[in-house]
Amino acid sequence: MLNSLLRLSAAGPIIHITSEPLFKFHGITITNSILFSWVCSVVITLLLVGVALLARARPRGGFIQYVEIVTDFIVDLVESALGDREKALYYAPYFVSMFFFIVFNNLFGLLPGVGEALTYHSLPLFRAFTADLNGTLAVAVVAMGLVEYFAMRESGPLNHLKHFFNGSFKNPMTWLLGFFEIFSELTRVISLALRLFLNIAIGEIIIAVFAYLGHVVAPITALPFVILEIFVCLLQAYIFVMLTVMYLSVAIHHEDTPEGITHPESLAPREKSHTRSSA
Amino acid sequence: MVYFASSTDLSVLAKGIMMGFGMIGPAIGVGLMGSSFMTAVGRNPEASKYLGQLLVVIAIVELMALLVFASIFII
Repeated sequence: MLNSLLRLSAAGPIIHITSEPLFKFHGITITNSILFSWVCSVVITLLLVGVALLARARPRGGFIQYVEIVTDFIVDLVESALGDREKALYYAPYFVSMFFFIVFNNLFGLLPGVGEALTYHSLPLFRAFTADLNGTLAVAVVAMGLVEYFAMRESGPLNHLKHFFNGSFKNPMTWLLGFFEIFSELTRVISLALRLFLNIAIGEIIIAVFAYLGHVVAPITALPFVILEIFVCLLQAYIFVMLTVMYLSVAIHHEDTPEGITHPESLAPREKSHTRSSA
Repeated sequence: MVYFASSTDLSVLAKGIMMGFGMIGPAIGVGLMGSSFMTAVGRNPEASKYLGQLLVVIAIVELMALLVFASIFII
Protein backbone atom coordinates (compact mmCIF):
# COMPACT_ATOMS: atom_id res chain seq x y z
CA MET A 1 0.00 0.00 0.00
CA LEU A 2 2.75 2.41 0.92
CA ASN A 3 4.60 1.43 -2.22
CA SER A 4 1.83 2.76 -4.43
CA LEU A 5 1.92 6.09 -2.59
CA LEU A 6 5.70 6.28 -2.91
CA ARG A 7 5.30 5.96 -6.68
CA LEU A 8 3.85 9.47 -6.77
CA SER A 9 7.34 10.83 -6.24
CA ALA A 10 9.02 8.74 -8.92
CA ALA A 11 11.32 10.49 -11.36
CA GLY A 12 10.00 8.83 -14.50
CA PRO A 13 7.42 6.28 -15.58
CA ILE A 14 8.13 2.87 -14.17
CA ILE A 15 8.37 0.53 -17.11
CA HIS A 16 9.09 -3.17 -17.00
CA ILE A 17 9.82 -5.00 -20.23
CA THR A 18 11.12 -8.27 -18.83
CA SER A 19 9.81 -10.33 -15.98
CA GLU A 20 11.75 -10.52 -12.76
CA PRO A 21 12.77 -13.78 -11.10
CA LEU A 22 11.19 -14.20 -7.69
CA PHE A 23 12.63 -17.33 -6.16
CA LYS A 24 14.27 -20.61 -7.03
CA PHE A 25 12.57 -23.96 -6.71
CA HIS A 26 14.93 -26.95 -6.94
CA GLY A 27 17.19 -24.97 -9.24
CA ILE A 28 14.41 -23.68 -11.53
CA THR A 29 13.92 -19.92 -11.45
CA ILE A 30 10.30 -18.91 -11.00
CA THR A 31 9.50 -15.45 -12.40
CA ASN A 32 6.52 -13.33 -11.55
CA SER A 33 4.85 -14.02 -14.88
CA ILE A 34 5.08 -17.78 -14.29
CA LEU A 35 3.38 -17.29 -10.92
CA PHE A 36 0.66 -15.23 -12.58
CA SER A 37 0.10 -17.90 -15.23
CA TRP A 38 -0.36 -20.53 -12.54
CA VAL A 39 -2.99 -18.42 -10.80
CA CYS A 40 -4.73 -17.77 -14.13
CA SER A 41 -4.65 -21.44 -15.09
CA VAL A 42 -6.30 -22.43 -11.81
CA VAL A 43 -9.00 -19.79 -12.33
CA ILE A 44 -9.62 -20.87 -15.94
CA THR A 45 -9.75 -24.57 -15.04
CA LEU A 46 -12.21 -23.97 -12.22
CA LEU A 47 -14.34 -21.75 -14.44
CA LEU A 48 -14.53 -24.02 -17.48
CA VAL A 49 -14.92 -27.28 -15.57
CA GLY A 50 -17.60 -25.66 -13.42
CA VAL A 51 -19.47 -24.41 -16.47
CA ALA A 52 -19.18 -27.82 -18.14
CA LEU A 53 -20.66 -29.53 -15.09
CA LEU A 54 -23.40 -26.98 -14.56
CA ALA A 55 -24.54 -26.57 -18.17
CA ARG A 56 -27.86 -28.15 -19.03
CA ALA A 57 -29.73 -28.62 -22.30
CA ARG A 58 -32.30 -25.94 -21.39
CA PRO A 59 -30.73 -22.47 -21.11
CA ARG A 60 -30.67 -21.45 -17.48
CA GLY A 61 -28.42 -19.13 -15.56
CA GLY A 62 -26.64 -15.99 -16.63
CA PHE A 63 -22.93 -16.62 -16.51
CA ILE A 64 -22.98 -19.99 -18.28
CA GLN A 65 -24.43 -18.31 -21.36
CA TYR A 66 -21.41 -16.03 -21.74
CA VAL A 67 -19.04 -18.97 -21.80
CA GLU A 68 -21.34 -20.68 -24.30
CA ILE A 69 -21.36 -17.59 -26.51
CA VAL A 70 -17.56 -17.52 -26.63
CA THR A 71 -17.37 -21.27 -27.24
CA ASP A 72 -19.88 -21.06 -30.11
CA PHE A 73 -17.93 -18.18 -31.59
CA ILE A 74 -14.67 -20.15 -31.64
CA VAL A 75 -16.32 -23.35 -32.91
CA ASP A 76 -17.94 -21.38 -35.76
CA LEU A 77 -14.55 -19.89 -36.58
CA VAL A 78 -12.94 -23.35 -36.67
CA GLU A 79 -15.79 -24.70 -38.77
CA SER A 80 -15.61 -21.89 -41.32
CA ALA A 81 -11.86 -22.50 -41.70
CA LEU A 82 -11.92 -26.29 -41.83
CA GLY A 83 -15.22 -26.67 -43.68
CA ASP A 84 -16.40 -29.70 -41.75
CA ARG A 85 -18.58 -29.50 -38.63
CA GLU A 86 -17.46 -32.86 -37.27
CA LYS A 87 -13.77 -32.07 -37.64
CA ALA A 88 -14.41 -28.68 -36.07
CA LEU A 89 -16.00 -30.29 -33.03
CA TYR A 90 -13.04 -32.64 -32.80
CA TYR A 91 -10.44 -29.86 -32.78
CA ALA A 92 -12.56 -27.32 -30.90
CA PRO A 93 -11.42 -28.08 -27.31
CA TYR A 94 -7.80 -27.20 -28.10
CA PHE A 95 -8.65 -23.86 -29.68
CA VAL A 96 -11.30 -22.89 -27.13
CA SER A 97 -8.91 -23.53 -24.25
CA MET A 98 -6.14 -21.66 -26.11
CA PHE A 99 -8.48 -18.69 -26.60
CA PHE A 100 -9.62 -18.66 -22.97
CA PHE A 101 -6.04 -18.94 -21.73
CA ILE A 102 -4.82 -16.00 -23.82
CA VAL A 103 -7.85 -13.82 -23.08
CA PHE A 104 -7.71 -14.38 -19.34
CA ASN A 105 -3.96 -13.82 -19.17
CA ASN A 106 -4.31 -10.60 -21.16
CA LEU A 107 -7.28 -9.22 -19.27
CA PHE A 108 -6.09 -10.11 -15.78
CA GLY A 109 -2.94 -8.14 -16.54
CA LEU A 110 -5.05 -4.97 -16.31
CA LEU A 111 -6.33 -5.70 -12.80
CA PRO A 112 -5.23 -3.38 -9.98
CA GLY A 113 -3.20 -5.97 -8.10
CA VAL A 114 -1.03 -6.95 -11.05
CA GLY A 115 2.02 -4.72 -11.30
CA GLU A 116 3.68 -2.45 -8.80
CA ALA A 117 1.00 -2.58 -6.09
CA LEU A 118 1.91 -6.00 -4.71
CA THR A 119 5.63 -6.36 -4.28
CA TYR A 120 7.89 -9.14 -3.06
CA HIS A 121 11.32 -7.84 -2.03
CA SER A 122 10.58 -4.65 -4.04
CA LEU A 123 9.84 -6.64 -7.21
CA PRO A 124 6.33 -6.79 -8.67
CA LEU A 125 4.70 -9.99 -7.51
CA PHE A 126 2.48 -10.48 -10.56
CA ARG A 127 3.02 -9.69 -14.21
CA ALA A 128 0.88 -10.68 -17.17
CA PHE A 129 2.10 -13.89 -18.71
CA THR A 130 1.53 -12.63 -22.25
CA ALA A 131 3.42 -9.42 -21.49
CA ASP A 132 6.56 -11.54 -21.30
CA LEU A 133 8.24 -12.75 -24.46
CA ASN A 134 8.99 -16.12 -22.85
CA GLY A 135 5.28 -16.60 -22.20
CA THR A 136 4.10 -15.82 -25.69
CA LEU A 137 6.89 -17.90 -27.21
CA ALA A 138 5.68 -20.81 -25.11
CA VAL A 139 2.09 -20.36 -26.28
CA ALA A 140 3.17 -19.98 -29.91
CA VAL A 141 5.46 -23.04 -29.83
CA VAL A 142 2.69 -25.13 -28.28
CA ALA A 143 0.16 -23.83 -30.83
CA MET A 144 2.32 -24.55 -33.89
CA GLY A 145 3.44 -27.85 -32.38
CA LEU A 146 -0.21 -28.83 -32.08
CA VAL A 147 -0.83 -27.78 -35.69
CA GLU A 148 2.07 -29.92 -36.93
CA TYR A 149 0.99 -32.85 -34.76
CA PHE A 150 -2.59 -32.69 -36.04
CA ALA A 151 -1.42 -32.40 -39.65
CA MET A 152 0.88 -35.38 -39.26
CA ARG A 153 -1.86 -37.39 -37.62
CA GLU A 154 -4.37 -36.52 -40.33
CA SER A 155 -2.25 -37.47 -43.31
CA GLY A 156 0.79 -39.36 -42.09
CA PRO A 157 4.21 -37.85 -41.37
CA LEU A 158 5.77 -38.44 -44.79
CA ASN A 159 2.77 -37.10 -46.67
CA HIS A 160 2.81 -34.00 -44.53
CA LEU A 161 6.45 -33.36 -45.42
CA LYS A 162 5.73 -34.05 -49.08
CA HIS A 163 3.07 -31.36 -48.94
CA PHE A 164 5.83 -28.75 -48.82
CA PHE A 165 7.57 -30.12 -51.91
CA ASN A 166 5.25 -29.71 -54.87
CA GLY A 167 6.29 -31.09 -58.21
CA SER A 168 9.05 -33.43 -59.25
CA PHE A 169 12.11 -33.90 -57.07
CA LYS A 170 14.55 -33.53 -59.97
CA ASN A 171 13.63 -29.87 -60.25
CA PRO A 172 15.87 -27.75 -58.00
CA MET A 173 13.11 -25.15 -57.63
CA THR A 174 11.07 -27.75 -55.79
CA TRP A 175 13.79 -28.17 -53.19
CA LEU A 176 14.24 -24.41 -52.82
CA LEU A 177 10.54 -23.70 -52.42
CA GLY A 178 10.18 -26.62 -50.05
CA PHE A 179 12.88 -25.37 -47.72
CA PHE A 180 11.42 -21.88 -47.81
CA GLU A 181 8.03 -23.29 -46.87
CA ILE A 182 9.54 -25.16 -43.92
CA PHE A 183 11.38 -22.01 -42.88
CA SER A 184 8.17 -20.01 -43.07
CA GLU A 185 6.62 -22.42 -40.58
CA LEU A 186 9.29 -21.37 -38.09
CA THR A 187 8.77 -17.67 -38.80
CA ARG A 188 5.07 -18.17 -38.14
CA VAL A 189 5.93 -19.17 -34.57
CA ILE A 190 8.01 -16.03 -34.10
CA SER A 191 5.44 -13.74 -35.71
CA LEU A 192 2.62 -15.14 -33.56
CA ALA A 193 4.69 -14.76 -30.39
CA LEU A 194 5.96 -11.27 -31.23
CA ARG A 195 2.56 -9.93 -32.24
CA LEU A 196 0.92 -10.96 -28.99
CA PHE A 197 3.85 -9.91 -26.80
CA LEU A 198 4.33 -6.50 -28.44
CA ASN A 199 0.67 -5.57 -28.35
CA ILE A 200 0.24 -6.41 -24.67
CA ALA A 201 3.62 -5.11 -23.44
CA ILE A 202 3.39 -1.84 -25.35
CA GLY A 203 -0.13 -1.35 -24.00
CA GLU A 204 1.28 -1.68 -20.49
CA ILE A 205 4.01 0.84 -21.30
CA ILE A 206 1.47 3.33 -22.67
CA ILE A 207 -0.67 2.99 -19.54
CA ALA A 208 2.41 3.47 -17.34
CA VAL A 209 3.47 6.60 -19.26
CA PHE A 210 0.02 8.19 -19.08
CA ALA A 211 -0.41 7.28 -15.44
CA TYR A 212 2.90 9.00 -14.76
CA LEU A 213 1.89 12.12 -16.69
CA GLY A 214 -1.18 12.63 -14.52
CA HIS A 215 0.43 12.51 -11.12
CA VAL A 216 -2.60 12.61 -8.85
CA VAL A 217 -5.29 12.30 -11.52
CA ALA A 218 -3.66 9.19 -12.97
CA PRO A 219 -6.94 7.19 -13.01
CA ILE A 220 -8.49 9.83 -15.28
CA THR A 221 -5.60 10.22 -17.69
CA ALA A 222 -4.99 6.50 -18.03
CA LEU A 223 -8.68 5.55 -18.41
CA PRO A 224 -9.00 5.83 -22.24
CA PHE A 225 -5.92 3.70 -22.69
CA VAL A 226 -7.16 1.04 -20.32
CA ILE A 227 -10.35 0.82 -22.40
CA LEU A 228 -8.23 0.61 -25.57
CA GLU A 229 -6.21 -2.13 -23.95
CA ILE A 230 -9.31 -4.17 -23.14
CA PHE A 231 -10.23 -4.04 -26.82
CA VAL A 232 -6.66 -4.91 -27.85
CA CYS A 233 -6.56 -7.91 -25.49
CA LEU A 234 -9.71 -9.43 -26.98
CA LEU A 235 -8.67 -8.67 -30.55
CA GLN A 236 -5.16 -10.12 -30.17
CA ALA A 237 -6.46 -13.34 -28.63
CA TYR A 238 -8.93 -13.70 -31.52
CA ILE A 239 -6.18 -13.03 -34.08
CA PHE A 240 -3.87 -15.59 -32.49
CA VAL A 241 -6.49 -18.33 -32.52
CA MET A 242 -7.71 -17.42 -36.01
CA LEU A 243 -4.23 -17.54 -37.50
CA THR A 244 -3.53 -20.88 -35.83
CA VAL A 245 -6.77 -22.31 -37.21
CA MET A 246 -5.87 -21.01 -40.66
CA TYR A 247 -2.44 -22.64 -40.51
CA LEU A 248 -4.12 -25.88 -39.48
CA SER A 249 -6.60 -25.72 -42.36
CA VAL A 250 -3.78 -25.04 -44.84
CA ALA A 251 -1.81 -27.98 -43.48
CA ILE A 252 -4.76 -30.39 -43.55
CA HIS A 253 -6.42 -29.50 -46.82
CA HIS A 254 -3.53 -30.36 -49.05
CA GLU A 255 -5.22 -33.19 -50.93
CA ASP A 256 -6.93 -30.71 -53.22
CA THR A 257 -3.85 -28.77 -54.27
CA PRO A 258 -4.65 -25.41 -55.84
CA GLU A 259 -3.53 -25.10 -59.42
CA GLY A 260 -1.05 -22.31 -59.20
CA ILE A 261 2.30 -21.39 -60.54
CA THR A 262 4.04 -24.30 -58.85
CA HIS A 263 1.83 -26.94 -60.39
CA PRO A 264 3.96 -28.64 -63.08
CA GLU A 265 1.20 -29.06 -65.63
CA SER A 266 0.51 -25.36 -65.71
CA LEU A 267 4.09 -24.67 -66.76
CA ALA A 268 3.96 -26.93 -69.81
CA PRO A 269 3.36 -25.13 -73.11
CA ARG A 270 -0.13 -25.52 -74.43
CA GLU A 271 -0.48 -26.38 -78.08
CA LYS A 272 -2.13 -23.64 -79.97
CA SER A 273 -5.16 -24.80 -81.82
CA HIS A 274 -6.21 -21.59 -83.49
CA THR A 275 -6.16 -21.52 -87.22
CA ARG A 276 -4.90 -18.61 -89.16
CA SER A 277 -7.14 -17.35 -91.83
CA SER A 278 -5.21 -17.33 -95.05
CA ALA A 279 -4.92 -14.11 -96.88
CA MET B 1 30.99 15.15 -37.42
CA VAL B 2 29.64 13.73 -34.20
CA TYR B 3 30.61 16.61 -31.92
CA PHE B 4 27.12 18.08 -31.88
CA ALA B 5 25.93 15.08 -29.88
CA SER B 6 28.81 14.96 -27.42
CA SER B 7 26.72 15.84 -24.40
CA THR B 8 24.13 13.19 -25.09
CA ASP B 9 24.29 9.67 -26.30
CA LEU B 10 24.03 9.10 -30.03
CA SER B 11 21.50 6.38 -29.39
CA VAL B 12 18.85 9.05 -28.70
CA LEU B 13 19.34 10.34 -32.23
CA ALA B 14 19.17 6.81 -33.58
CA LYS B 15 15.93 6.15 -31.72
CA GLY B 16 14.35 9.31 -33.07
CA ILE B 17 15.30 8.60 -36.66
CA MET B 18 14.16 4.99 -36.38
CA MET B 19 10.77 5.93 -34.98
CA GLY B 20 10.28 8.70 -37.52
CA PHE B 21 11.04 6.64 -40.60
CA GLY B 22 9.66 3.42 -39.28
CA MET B 23 6.14 4.60 -38.58
CA ILE B 24 5.54 5.98 -42.07
CA GLY B 25 5.03 2.58 -43.68
CA PRO B 26 2.49 1.04 -41.31
CA ALA B 27 0.54 4.28 -41.09
CA ILE B 28 0.20 4.47 -44.88
CA GLY B 29 -0.72 0.80 -44.96
CA VAL B 30 -3.49 1.15 -42.41
CA GLY B 31 -4.78 4.24 -44.22
CA LEU B 32 -4.93 2.35 -47.51
CA MET B 33 -6.84 -0.51 -45.92
CA GLY B 34 -9.27 1.87 -44.27
CA SER B 35 -9.88 3.72 -47.50
CA SER B 36 -10.55 0.52 -49.46
CA PHE B 37 -12.92 -0.65 -46.75
CA MET B 38 -14.80 2.64 -46.86
CA THR B 39 -15.00 2.47 -50.65
CA ALA B 40 -16.34 -1.07 -50.51
CA VAL B 41 -18.94 -0.19 -47.89
CA GLY B 42 -19.93 2.87 -49.87
CA ARG B 43 -20.62 0.80 -52.97
CA ASN B 44 -22.28 -2.06 -51.13
CA PRO B 45 -23.47 -1.42 -47.57
CA GLU B 46 -23.61 -5.14 -46.89
CA ALA B 47 -19.81 -5.25 -46.94
CA SER B 48 -19.66 -3.90 -43.37
CA LYS B 49 -19.80 -7.50 -42.15
CA TYR B 50 -16.11 -7.76 -43.12
CA LEU B 51 -15.10 -5.41 -40.31
CA GLY B 52 -13.70 -8.32 -38.32
CA GLN B 53 -11.39 -9.38 -41.11
CA LEU B 54 -10.30 -5.78 -41.61
CA LEU B 55 -9.23 -5.55 -37.97
CA VAL B 56 -7.32 -8.81 -38.31
CA VAL B 57 -5.36 -7.53 -41.31
CA ILE B 58 -4.72 -4.24 -39.51
CA ALA B 59 -3.23 -6.17 -36.60
CA ILE B 60 -0.87 -7.96 -38.96
CA VAL B 61 0.31 -4.59 -40.30
CA GLU B 62 0.53 -3.10 -36.80
CA LEU B 63 3.11 -5.77 -35.98
CA MET B 64 5.62 -3.85 -38.11
CA ALA B 65 4.89 -0.62 -36.26
CA LEU B 66 5.20 -2.35 -32.91
CA LEU B 67 8.53 -3.86 -33.92
CA VAL B 68 9.85 -0.34 -34.48
CA PHE B 69 8.53 0.78 -31.09
CA ALA B 70 10.03 -2.21 -29.34
CA SER B 71 13.43 -1.67 -30.97
CA ILE B 72 13.74 1.52 -28.94
CA PHE B 73 14.30 -0.55 -25.84
CA ILE B 74 16.92 -2.69 -27.54
CA ILE B 75 19.18 0.09 -28.78
